[in-house]
Amino acid sequence: MFAFSKEAEEKIEKILKKYPEERKRSALLPLLTLVQRQERHVNPDAMREIGRRLDLSPAYVQSVCSFYTMYSSKPVGKYLILFCVNISCQLNGCDVLLAHTAKKLNIEIGGTTNDMKFSLHREECLAACSGGPMMRINDTFYENLTAAKIDQILDSLD
Amino acid sequence: MADEQVTLTIDDQTVSVPKGTKVVDAAKTVGIDIPVFCYHEKLGPLGCCRMCLVEVEKMPKLMTACTMDVGPDMVVKTTTPKVEKAQKGVLEFTLLNHPLDCPVCDKGGECPLQDNTFKYGPGDTRMEFHRAENLKMGPLSPVITLDRERCIACQRCTRYSEVIEQDSALVMHNRGFNNEVGTFNNESYDTRFSGNVIDICPVGALTNSQFRFKARTWDLTNSDTLCAHCGCNCNMTLGTRTNQFMRIQARPNDLVDDGWICDKARWGYDFLESSNRLKEARTLPDGGTMLFSSPTTQDAAVRTAEAIRNIVAEHGPESVGFIGSPYGTNEELYLYQKLFRSGFGTNNIDHKVYADSPGLPIDHYDVSDIETSDLVLAIASDPTEELPILDLRIKKAVTRHGVRLAVLNDQATLMDKYAALSLHYDIGADGKVFSALTAAISGEGKADVKNTGIKADQLKSLVEMLRAGKKITIVYNPAALTGKSIHGLNQLLAMIKNIPSVECGAIPAAPQTNAVGAMDMGILPDYYPGGLPVLDSESIKQQWGENAPTEPGLSALEMIERAASGKLKALLVYRANPVVDFPGGKKVEEALRKLELLVVHDMFETETAKLAHIVLPSNGPGYDDGTTTNIGGRVQFRKGGLKTTNPPDWKIISLMANALNEEGDRVNYITSFSVTDEIAKKVPGYGEISKRSIKKEGATREPPANNNGSGFEAMDSPSPNADALKLRIANYLFAHDKILDASSQLAHQFQPSIVHLNKKDAKKLKLKDDDDVVVVSGDVEIAAQVEISDRCNPGGVVLPNISDEQGVWGLANDRDGVTWVEIRKV
Ligand code: SF4
Ligand code: SF4
Ligand code: FES
Ligand code: FES
Repeated sequence: MFAFSKEAEEKIEKILKKYPEERKRSALLPLLTLVQRQERHVNPDAMREIGRRLDLSPAYVQSVCSFYTMYSSKPVGKYLILFCVNISCQLNGCDVLLAHTAKKLNIEIGGTTNDMKFSLHREECLAACSGGPMMRINDTFYENLTAAKIDQILDSLD
Repeated sequence: MADEQVTLTIDDQTVSVPKGTKVVDAAKTVGIDIPVFCYHEKLGPLGCCRMCLVEVEKMPKLMTACTMDVGPDMVVKTTTPKVEKAQKGVLEFTLLNHPLDCPVCDKGGECPLQDNTFKYGPGDTRMEFHRAENLKMGPLSPVITLDRERCIACQRCTRYSEVIEQDSALVMHNRGFNNEVGTFNNESYDTRFSGNVIDICPVGALTNSQFRFKARTWDLTNSDTLCAHCGCNCNMTLGTRTNQFMRIQARPNDLVDDGWICDKARWGYDFLESSNRLKEARTLPDGGTMLFSSPTTQDAAVRTAEAIRNIVAEHGPESVGFIGSPYGTNEELYLYQKLFRSGFGTNNIDHKVYADSPGLPIDHYDVSDIETSDLVLAIASDPTEELPILDLRIKKAVTRHGVRLAVLNDQATLMDKYAALSLHYDIGADGKVFSALTAAISGEGKADVKNTGIKADQLKSLVEMLRAGKKITIVYNPAALTGKSIHGLNQLLAMIKNIPSVECGAIPAAPQTNAVGAMDMGILPDYYPGGLPVLDSESIKQQWGENAPTEPGLSALEMIERAASGKLKALLVYRANPVVDFPGGKKVEEALRKLELLVVHDMFETETAKLAHIVLPSNGPGYDDGTTTNIGGRVQFRKGGLKTTNPPDWKIISLMANALNEEGDRVNYITSFSVTDEIAKKVPGYGEISKRSIKKEGATREPPANNNGSGFEAMDSPSPNADALKLRIANYLFAHDKILDASSQLAHQFQPSIVHLNKKDAKKLKLKDDDDVVVVSGDVEIAAQVEISDRCNPGGVVLPNISDEQGVWGLANDRDGVTWVEIRKV
């Protein structure tokens, strides 16, 4: 069974106040984000719960949830690395760096380390093209990456 | 203004259409076909497939004709080289990953993708890679097969689920290249209306599992017919091949079904080949005059008439009776009442166990009036479970036409979600509520809401809504009212009509297929066809001859009572199953056993047929032609489609009539329409009904005059003991009965036996959810599981009728009020 944490509940209260009652479905993305942060993924129980609160079918919640790559259906590690593979980063050699990162973490792209510390996902443009190649780890952007820089960043996280 | 006209030019033709029309629909009005995939006129524009690109003068880019409103002096071109190139391009993309397995695809021959490609597409593809592979045939539900490779992600099906069904059970998952149709957690997509997605899917991605690989569509013989399962009378096409049932599809008639059918229509036709069907006539040797061996149907019909005539000769016409069916066609019912009235001289004729009389004190509205109303008042009706397509119509009116819905019911239904005001009265308090409302509107007398479960201010809100209404449609289910409260409702309707500046009409929404027709055809002990009261002996003699009986006959329940006391000697039961469907249970069976002669004319081996001395087989829908009158008063033709050597019912009944008639008086109907013609002559209100007049969209008959001036006073029904609760039986269209038997494809829709209790009562009786209990009344016990909810007010229980086997009607033994039951834990 899924339940929102106490802090999440407080946030929900604030979020729902932002929208008129008949438009409360607008709170769908913020609520999904809360779940993703709390559980490191969004499971079907949570989708049902969100649907119940916002008067949406669970299928609709799942549809929206599966549209956005920043929500995941399986638990992700403590650090979720979203590695941009779109055009600017591509031209600046992201492929090699992505492979390097996967090798360093000893996981496949899309996978999670056994200790649940890191997950590595491909991502489309994160709107930081001027600093490509780039990656996002949880809420932090890391730009102008090199292999050495990646090693150092990953080693510094605990 | 909705009726403002806009004039534009499409491919050099001048077109005038109402403002707001989409270019694609405007083109259609002058026969110009703009290809589409995602657009469907009932779903509205989306603009995701780009198939409908056209050139519009003064617009730099190609435009999607399905999303663009017509504009004054717009110049649209649909066949320029630029458009053609775009169409080829779009189709090449659409086909990029399409498996092109047309030779084994059920959609082949009626596939918009095939047709568009043929007409507008490129001859070839530049795609050199492997096509994407995906789920080839998975069950989307027990009755629908999904082929993800064929899906072109047009979103028609998912938007249908969202816009029409309004439950978003079917959605698009993922995005871009991975976009796919699915449900929550891969659950089954098993709504009541799921099958329509098969018809609207423009490719073979969603197919009818039952029809899969059975026939090529072009080999089918299609009969334009009607669904025979409920009072909506939705239009459908019955596809057959070599006289075998193949499939059913929707056949849009906006005035009736708005283009949809429910799943009971699409998959509820297994009964055509049910092992439980009565295929031939039979007689029970009774040692008496009626003993004859394996008769033909014709023989049995003649013998039936003779046997009843002999009983009439011996015991008088009051000793015989007829119980008909609201599922019979107008022709069948008309002929039966004529047989019993003119042939046997009795008015012992009925078809129902609740009180009602023909005619309304206000207009009889058609279902399409719901959308043009500004207020719909639904009384005691649960369209979702009883008349599914009415449910869609009301939902559409509320969500898309801004119609306000008020609900007045003794049980919570899905309609509450759409209602601006929902009032739930106590079970059995309907009469009192109607009286209170009538008093509140008229300002005369006291609007007394004591013991109704409704508060005075709630009643006031409803009255205010009614007063503010401009056009009001009242939808009510007479079969769900208790005692004689229908008369109270009629008074209320008359009072609503008196509200100044209100235009109003009612839709009597009894669930059965031809409930309206059965009333119109005079399958009633006190009314001749067309609502002519038996007491009006002068008109009756004029219309039906000197010998026509003018004494009121026995109602169906009275006939059972008289059978029990031995006064009724012979009964003909036509497509009804009193043993299961009448209040009384075992008592009904015992009464029928006492009859000297019980004739059952039915499609199935029912519990009642098992008791019969003579059994006559009825072909019923799928085989026999005839007309039915839907809840909106619309008469339509239900074509048979399949052929059989058994005579149709109208012929069987005429055989009986002719066995009684002198040579010169014999009837000689050639087709069912010959009977329709006689109805047009003899039944007031049906004068305009003919093969020709009902051909396309059907035609509304004139409703019978209202004969309901009688006074009405609501009564209390005292509780027999402190723990007793009032029973509401809820009828479900998707119940497990003779039509949907155990082998039915819709078995996944069957419900368990559940008794719905209010929290308060559950606490008092120390019951919790899922407790196994029996619901008891007299010596009848029905097993059920407890569900605690707000389904009804304290003091009552709702027990859905989920199967013949469950036998809930056995509990109901008090026909003049409410049935009290007790709940016992087992
Ligand atoms: S299944 Fe059919 S209707 Fe649904 S999106 Fe795919 S092609 Fe369109
Ligand atoms: S709503 Fe009634 S008439 Fe229409 S398809 Fe369903 S069962 Fe048949
Ligand atoms: S392409 Fe990588 S951030 Fe835009
Ligand atoms: S039909 Fe116009 S975009 Fe699909």
